[in-house]
Amino acid sequence: MNRIAIGALVLALGVIPAAGQSLEDLNIQIHGYATQGLLYTTNNNILTTNSSDGSPAWSEVVVNVTSQPNPKLRVAVQARYFMLGLIGDQIILDWAAADYKYNEKLGVRFGKVKTPLGLLNETQDIDPSYQWALLPQGVYPLMSRTSNLAHYGGVLYGQFKLGPQAGKLEYRLWGGDRQLNSQDGVFLTRREIGIYFPNGLGGATFGAALHWKATGPLDGLMLGVSDYRNAGNWMAPILKNFGTTPGTETAARVISPNYFGIYEKNKVMVAAEYNRYPILAFMNFPSTPTQTVVGDRRSWYAMATYKLSGKLAVGVYDSQIVDHKSAFTAAQGRYMKDWTFNGKYDFNQFIYAKVEEHIIKGTDYVYDSTMNPGGLKPDTKLTVFKIGVSF
Amino acid sequence: MKKLSLVFLLLVAALLVATRAQAQVIVIANSSVKATEVSKSDLRDVFTGAATELKDGSRVVPILLKAGTAHEEFLQAYIGKNDTAYRAGWRSLVFSGQATMPKSLDGDAAVVEFVAHNAGAIGYISKGSAHEGVKVLAVK
Repeated sequence: MNRIAIGALVLALGVIPAAGQSLEDLNIQIHGYATQGLLYTTNNNILTTNSSDGSPAWSEVVVNVTSQPNPKLRVAVQARYFMLGLIGDQIILDWAAADYKYNEKLGVRFGKVKTPLGLLNETQDIDPSYQWALLPQGVYPLMSRTSNLAHYGGVLYGQFKLGPQAGKLEYRLWGGDRQLNSQDGVFLTRREIGIYFPNGLGGATFGAALHWKATGPLDGLMLGVSDYRNAGNWMAPILKNFGTTPGTETAARVISPNYFGIYEKNKVMVAAEYNRYPILAFMNFPSTPTQTVVGDRRSWYAMATYKLSGKLAVGVYDSQIVDHKSAFTAAQGRYMKDWTFNGKYDFNQFIYAKVEEHIIKGTDYVYDSTMNPGGLKPDTKLTVFKIGVSF
Repeated sequence: MKKLSLVFLLLVAALLVATRAQAQVIVIANSSVKATEVSKSDLRDVFTGAATELKDGSRVVPILLKAGTAHEEFLQAYIGKNDTAYRAGWRSLVFSGQATMPKSLDGDAAVVEFVAHNAGAIGYISKGSAHEGVKVLAVK
């Protein structure tokens, strides 16, 4: 079914029962934001852009329409135009969902819904909401954001108060179908060696997340854990030799946990997260032995921000990815380490700017050979300017 | 003459400071809300979108002021954010499909009018503003 039609259907499901009410009664709101980034690297070209010459190929426009026809029901749809170097340059359906909240302990969201993984998966695409121009790539890879952001299915959610000084526990249970688009950044390195996924890759998926939010003297602290799983193997047709030889890929079941925490109080925020993402896949082509693709990416970051004033905040993070089963024999290809220093200035509630410096060592992630035909250097500095407007 | 002008200026300054120090906010709610008091943490949860019910199970809908002294004082006293950061937090919820932006109104009178006529509405106004038709919730 056309994905845009799903969005329209979800909106209609919410609005039709309220027929006869005025637009004001339906509480229809339209919000959006747009960002424009500029990337400059000292050595390697990054994120499929020509960043060593300075690249403005990073743009985003989001429009969101929300309606709340009654206090328990909300329906909304969000569309996005996203372009990053060689990726995107199209309008996609971010998500489209109906949300029924029975009470604080139980609610359900269904449609194309954001997947509650980790600390930032549900907000990683909302640039105005966080400090960074580029999130820690090991845990929130920008080139795979479209695939990781949402799934078709549902989320059960709610929260329980544990006691006067024991805080509260939030839960999310989710399941459905996830589809990795054939043009998604997750397939970039495969495309470079002539392997194509004409129909993308996808299948059933499910998971859960728990957040404990403290009260009392630890007010502002949240600790959480989430788990992501593919339900069984995923299979998809593939083509090699740049589209001339058909085959099949079987991606084995994935179990990927995240452990995370955040503390926010007054002017300070500190957060940390760890993720493990194992990969095991088999490529089968006629008359050739099965090729195995393996990986065991373990990523983490620690970050902190401080509000210098009502308009200006500064931040720093350290992020590392190590692939414990990397096929690369050169050490630099098995890891990426990134020290980032950042500032964000809010001109007003609508317009903001971010400036960021990354000191990157290792080449395990964020690089592609198409934009780096001469090979990769082990270290790169990346400077990012980004301006955004939201309403 | 100069001394009189100086005294006058000092008096005006003192009056302004005194007025500023006395400005406070009160939390008001529609009569459908059963509670007579609300904790600071419940208030913060409701006005940041983290909760839609009070401890007694009353479903509430937050109503904001667009700007002004009462708005700034409410944010400082109960939310711990400035207006820009506060609205950015709400936008995160909107852009992730978890909430709609709460209604923002132009002044105390508009907030009182809306809260009085909408079940579950909860808002804040300056302490000295008229508030007929709504109940005042004590914040503990």
